Amino acid sequence: MSDSITLHISRYRPEQDDAPWVQSYEIPYHRDTSVLEALNYIKDHLDPSLSHRWSCRMAICGSCGVMINDEPSLSCKSFLRDYIAAGELHVRAMENFPIERDLVSDLGGFIDHLKTVQPYLMREQDKPTSEGEYLQTPHEMGRYKAFSQCINCGLCYAACPQFGRNPEFLGPAALTLAQRYNLDSRDEGQSQRMAHLNEEEGVWSCTFVGHCSAVCPKDVDPAAAINQGKVASTVNYGLNLLNLIRGKHDG
Amino acid sequence: MTAKPYIQRQPAGWWLKSSAYRRYMLREATALPIFLYCLLLISGLYQLTQGEAAFLDWLQVLRSPWVIALHVVAFAAALFHAWTWIELVPKILVVHTSRFTLSPQLIKRVHQGGALACFVGLIGLAVLLLTRATTGAG
Repeated sequence: MSDSITLHISRYRPEQDDAPWVQSYEIPYHRDTSVLEALNYIKDHLDPSLSHRWSCRMAICGSCGVMINDEPSLSCKSFLRDYIAAGELHVRAMENFPIERDLVSDLGGFIDHLKTVQPYLMREQDKPTSEGEYLQTPHEMGRYKAFSQCINCGLCYAACPQFGRNPEFLGPAALTLAQRYNLDSRDEGQSQRMAHLNEEEGVWSCTFVGHCSAVCPKDVDPAAAINQGKVASTVNYGLNLLNLIRGKHDG
Repeated sequence: MTAKPYIQRQPAGWWLKSSAYRRYMLREATALPIFLYCLLLISGLYQLTQGEAAFLDWLQVLRSPWVIALHVVAFAAALFHAWTWIELVPKILVVHTSRFTLSPQLIKRVHQGGALACFVGLIGLAVLLLTRATTGAG
């Protein structure tokens, strides 16, 4: 059984357009048609000029983030049936990012922020491989596991008005990843990351709007990670102050 | 071909678009009536330093319907802010040591209990002081 629905899609062709505009397409749909499948249908059958990103179709790759009825969403994880009641289905490129073309966003700034927080295990002195792995108990892993589920889709950035106001803000995913590694018992790089977390563009630009956590498709809860980062930043500030008073630097 | 990305600017009314943003702005806006209430208290302290007549004038101001309305709004704002804050505390305060882990629910309950104790305690204190003042006056 198949019915039809109209999708209003924001188009932007950099070689012709000065601003995005809306084009509507009527497509057939089933109960299990995802928004991504609808976009692919348009691309394959109605308008090959439509550009959108996608890859895995199962909320793992994080490529297909768009705004659906003004909510940051993965198009593969959103189903047309859930929008029938709303009567309208508007799809546009993710909020807060520059638009490259149609539904394709430029995530370069976000990727730079990820690099800034050095999201990898850092050791003061690496031990040789012959000495084996760095071991960790499940209890120790429990401290950061939720924060490590991020797929870098960027939806949290599209949901963050502070990032929209100031793109220099490191933002939800980068700060969550910083917290994820700071909480990892195998990591010794916290002092290097804290320098970035402590900055104005670090954790302190977050005002706990909390919408990043609401839109996260992997239940990472970036708002919790960032605000735990504020506690860590405050402790770090206190320790640095204490060291300064005692005549030591870079404690 | 030269890339010409379209830069999206945040409109002034960004927060009107979604109910989640409107709730956030309401939470932040609770600071305004509480700020006004603080100004009112500070002005009372100042009037106290200016002598009895000035302080009695200030007490008279407190009886105006506008100032009573401010009290009601500031009280509602403080309660709403406290509620939103306590809802968020378990996300921030995570107790996870090598020996034990406190559940988020317990952390929330302890904060709710603390807030309730302060609330009841303050009202009790106010009632006690008022009773004494009335008995003293009588």
